[in-house]
Order: sequence, then C-alpha cells, then structure tokens
Amino acid sequence: MAIEREEILPKYWYNIIPDLPKPLPPPRDPPDAEFSRIDLLRKIMPKEVLRQQFTVERFIKIPEEVREAYLNIGRPTPLMRAKRLEEMLNTPAKIYFKFEGATPTGSHKINTALPQAYFAKAEGVNHIVTETGAGQWGTAVALAARMYNMESTIFMVKVSYEQKPQRRTIMELYGGKVYASPTNLTEYGRKVLAENPSHPGSLGVAMSEAIEYALTNNYRYLVGSVLDVAILHQSVIGQEAMKQMDILGEEPDILIGCVGGGSNFGGFAFPFLGAKRGEKFIAVGSYEIPKFSQGDYMYDFPDSAGLLPMVKMITLGKDYVPPPIYAGGLRYHGAAPSLSLLIKEGIVEWREYSEPEIFEAAKLFAEAQGIVPAPESAHAIKAVIDEALKAKKNHERKVIVFNLSGHGLLDLPNYESMMKRLSK
Amino acid sequence: MSKMLVSYATLGYPKEKEYLEFIDGCVKEGSDILEIGVPPKYAKYDGPVIRRSYKQVSSWLKDIWPLLKETRDRVKIPIIILTYLEDWLPVLDDFLSNLAKIGIDGILFPDLIIDYVDEYEKYVKKIKDHGLKAVIFTAPSVPDPLIQKVSKISDIFLYYGVRPTTGVPIPVSVDSLITRIRILVDNKLVVGFGLSDVEDMRKALRAGADGIAIGTAYIEAIERGGVQDAINLVKYFRGVLNEF
Repeated sequence: MAIEREEILPKYWYNIIPDLPKPLPPPRDPPDAEFSRIDLLRKIMPKEVLRQQFTVERFIKIPEEVREAYLNIGRPTPLMRAKRLEEMLNTPAKIYFKFEGATPTGSHKINTALPQAYFAKAEGVNHIVTETGAGQWGTAVALAARMYNMESTIFMVKVSYEQKPQRRTIMELYGGKVYASPTNLTEYGRKVLAENPSHPGSLGVAMSEAIEYALTNNYRYLVGSVLDVAILHQSVIGQEAMKQMDILGEEPDILIGCVGGGSNFGGFAFPFLGAKRGEKFIAVGSYEIPKFSQGDYMYDFPDSAGLLPMVKMITLGKDYVPPPIYAGGLRYHGAAPSLSLLIKEGIVEWREYSEPEIFEAAKLFAEAQGIVPAPESAHAIKAVIDEALKAKKNHERKVIVFNLSGHGLLDLPNYESMMKRLSK
Repeated sequence: MSKMLVSYATLGYPKEKEYLEFIDGCVKEGSDILEIGVPPKYAKYDGPVIRRSYKQVSSWLKDIWPLLKETRDRVKIPIIILTYLEDWLPVLDDFLSNLAKIGIDGILFPDLIIDYVDEYEKYVKKIKDHGLKAVIFTAPSVPDPLIQKVSKISDIFLYYGVRPTTGVPIPVSVDSLITRIRILVDNKLVVGFGLSDVEDMRKALRAGADGIAIGTAYIEAIERGGVQDAINLVKYFRGVLNEF
C-alpha cells in the first residue's frame, strides 16, 4: 500500500502556462508607481518560489523533502466514488470526487504552504509570515512551518480572530504565533489603529502587515492563492486524480471545482486540461460574489492593499467588498490570471450559485456520502448535481469528477446558521 | 559573425547634451543597434529604473521629433524605436509615417504580442507598409507556436525578454529559457529585459542567443556616475560579447 501511495504522488508539478492558447499577460506595476511591486516580491518571497512563479517549464521537479512531507500529511488524498449520491439523483452519470478535506488541515491549502516553507528554509530563513482571513491558509502555513522546524507568524483578521477561536487554536497547536490584525507590531498596523483603535481588520490590512513584518525582519512571506505559483503546487491534486482514474479504468468527461482565487480549481483541473482529458471544465463561483457574470477582464491588484503587482484577471475590483456569505474562501474579488484567460477563451465554463442552493447541495451530499463539505466546495457539488441531472435527462453515461477542496467540520456554526435560515 | 549588442537609451536622458554624448559613445564602443525609448504614458512592462528615466525626460521634453531627427543624423547604425502601441493607437499612421520620414529603421512595441495578440498581424503589416522594420517582442509567457510564427516575420531580429519587467532581477533560469526557444526561432535572437548581470549574459549567449539588449544598466550607470560611466559599460559589454 505504501508503495502504491508513492507511485500515485507525482514527482513533478505541472505548469499550464506553456499550454495556454494565448500569452499570459505578465504581472505589472501600476502607472505612476511610487515603488515597484515586482521588486517587492523579490524581497519577500523565497527565491525559488518566485522563479517558479515566472517559469515557463511545463514540469518542475518536486524536491524529495517536499514529497516526503506530502506523504506525511496523507497524500495522495483519496479519489472516491459518490455512489449513493448517484443513486439519490437516479442518474446514469458516474460521480467521483477528489477529497482534499482528508489532509490534516482540512483543505488543499497545505499543498502550496509546504513547498513555499521548504524553499524559504532552503535559503536559510527560519521564519515565515502570512495573513489569514477565516484561517484555512494560516493553518496550512503554521503546519508547514512546523514540519520544517521553522517559526511562523500569522496575521489574522481581527473579526475572524474573535469569531473563530478554534482556527486560532489549531494554528497555535502547530506552534504558530497568531496576532489579531491590526497589531502594534507593524508601522502599518499602528497607523490603522491610530486612526481607529477598534478597527475590525481586513484581509488587505492583514496582508500589508504580514508583508511589512517579513520585510523588516528578513523573513519570508507566503502567498496563498491567485499567483500562478500556488496553482502550480496545487497540481498534485489533478495529477493524482488522473492516476487514480487510470487505476479505476475511467475516463473523465466533466471536471468541476469551486473558485475563490482559483488555486484548488486550477490545481485539480489544469493537469487534465494539459493532458487533453475531459470535454467540459466548470469553474464554480458564488452568486453573491458575481465575478464571472459581472466582473471585467482587466489589470487589477490581487490584494486590496495594492502591495502586489497588478495581474490581468476577471475581477470585481480590488475595492469590492464581498457580502458576508459563509463560504469565506470564495469571498475574493478576482480569479487567477491563467484561469481567467481560459474562461475568457471559452475553454473553461463557469457557474454561479446562491447560498440557499449550495446549502441544499451540501445537505444532500452529507446525507449521501456522510461528508460535510466546506461551504466553498458545496458550490462545486451543486454544479455536479446539475450536470448529473442533465445527464439523466439526456440519458448520457457521463463521468463527472470534482474536487472536494475541504471538509466543513470547522464551518459547523455557519451550517447551523444556514439551517436555521434556510431549512424548510 | 560576432554577437549583436543592442544598446538602449531613453530619448533625451538625462539631458539633451548628455544623451547625445551617450549615443555617440554607444556607437563608438561597438553597439550594433541603437534602441531609443520614447517615454510612454504608461510604461507597462518597464521596471523602476527605466520608469524613472521616462519621468525625468517627460518633465522637460515636450516635442520628441527634433531630438529624434538629431539622433538619426548623428548615428549611422540602425535605430529602433521602443514605445508602447497603446499610447500611439489614436495617431498610429502619423506616428509611423513621421518615423519613416526622418529615417528611423524600425519599431518595437513591447505590448504588441501581449496586449494585441488577436490583431498583431494587422499592426505588423501597417508598420511594414510605412517602410519601417517591425521588430517583434516576445516573452516566456508567449506560447511556443506563436513564438515560432512571429519569429519568421520579425525584422532584423526577434526580441526575447526573459523577465516580466525590465531591470528587476527576478530569478529565472536564463539558459533553459533560451535553449527552449532557440529551436523555435528561425531568425536572429536578441535577449533582454532584466539582463544586466554578466553571468546571465554569458548563459544566454552560450545557450544560443545572437545578441543581447542592455538598457537598465546604462541608466543606472548614468544615475550613479554620469554618461562616461555608461559609455564604459558599453565597452565592457562589447568585450563580453566578443568572448563568443
């Protein structure tokens, strides 16, 4: 069994950039920039991570130490058949899902936290820094740091820090130092607090603090999504899934994933896309954050603080304030540049679903398979159900594969609230 | 055949007199081609150093044409204008025809293949119809089949920018980038964009580049020690190229 696991875990990350139909517009500095954001990346990101961000090699070797860490956290994650869901939908379609909720941190985020921490360590840095909103990314970074015996500092948006003490507890169990942002640790935080001592914090503020903290202490800053390097690392998901499909002797027709910044969707779907397997790719967003239906394809900042270089992407604008839906991971204004380009070119389709719709889907899935999906992943499940019902209507034996990017066991208070509000 | 040195200057930088001194020095010390940057409204793909030079020049140079003509009159080697298509679109025909009229050899729009990829052929034709040479800029993010295609229609050489912006040493594997595209390029291949480190230059040349383009390093030298320092650099880079 152990040997089999190692065989399924890929030896290379897959990079879709050379396989895109058009040139990927490069990151750039804004007009009249008072400092270069591209240059800033160079000062805060581990060198190898930055090299990978801008590489055009199709395959990049995964260092042995990172593969070991992947195995240690339970990769490859299972590819499972949702047999009972098929039965409940009475569909001729076969439904498979890749279960990223099976990692210790409960989501796919650890797949890029590990290599980024490793590359920081490899250049002699012993301390990594990041920001986190709901806490998934911060949890992944705290664990990654611990796995390579490093320190981690996580700036957690103050409202989440207060509302989600469990997330904080996990990070602290892993040895991470978690601060409620805005803090007094950075100049930016002090400035924000001076203006408003009871500032609730925001992802933009937390990110600015994390970047400043990394910069002034010569630590390294880890980036969770949107930048293509995060999708590159996430490609272990799709590559494993391809091998697992081979073992089952199945060929996928439809591939589905939810999109916050795009790293779980890209990591899952791009390897299939690159291998020309699958006829339909569906990226699922939230109806309440309508970036696909109403966003523009343009240069915009990936972060609301405007500290990172601008990238060309589908975006609602960096100052867009997402409504407080429970799928916190989808509360993001843009989508990764590579994914945006593929959507613009019509290669990847999109869907948007509302909270009541995804709640129903989550409940059905939990009843069918026993797994409580993360509210983010429930968006993908809703699309799966729609495709499965379409297959039923058309009497087609489609093979649908989706990425269950995380479990929802840390979202139970959200589910409780949705149940009260939405259950008939 | 010796390797090509493409030397870049921002039109009028730092001041008219020093600029003219610098381009004279560029020619004297062995540049094969002069690339002249016309300050754009938005230097989308330029780094902080080149941007500074644009900003400085824009503050006083209101009419580019007399100085461009002066440049042409002093310099016998080919001159390529580097500026962004986005800025000139509303007056493209006039712009191109004026360049041709004063005897400029060619033009390079770094945003042509990136931001106007669906209609680049139309613009290349327009440039050529005006009697100018169209030097095409490509980058690692340009898909292989497109590099192959545009390399055939690019005049003088194909420009390959190895970094996402000028003058910021983002870590990239220069040799593997060049090795990879060398086989796709049926033309002379000039490598630039953030290539001021001599080891990077040697790697590029060993991997099959026919020449290198230098810009940021000159501007930095002018900022630091003045025009003569930049001219010394031209000589130094010529020496590196002559190793090959």
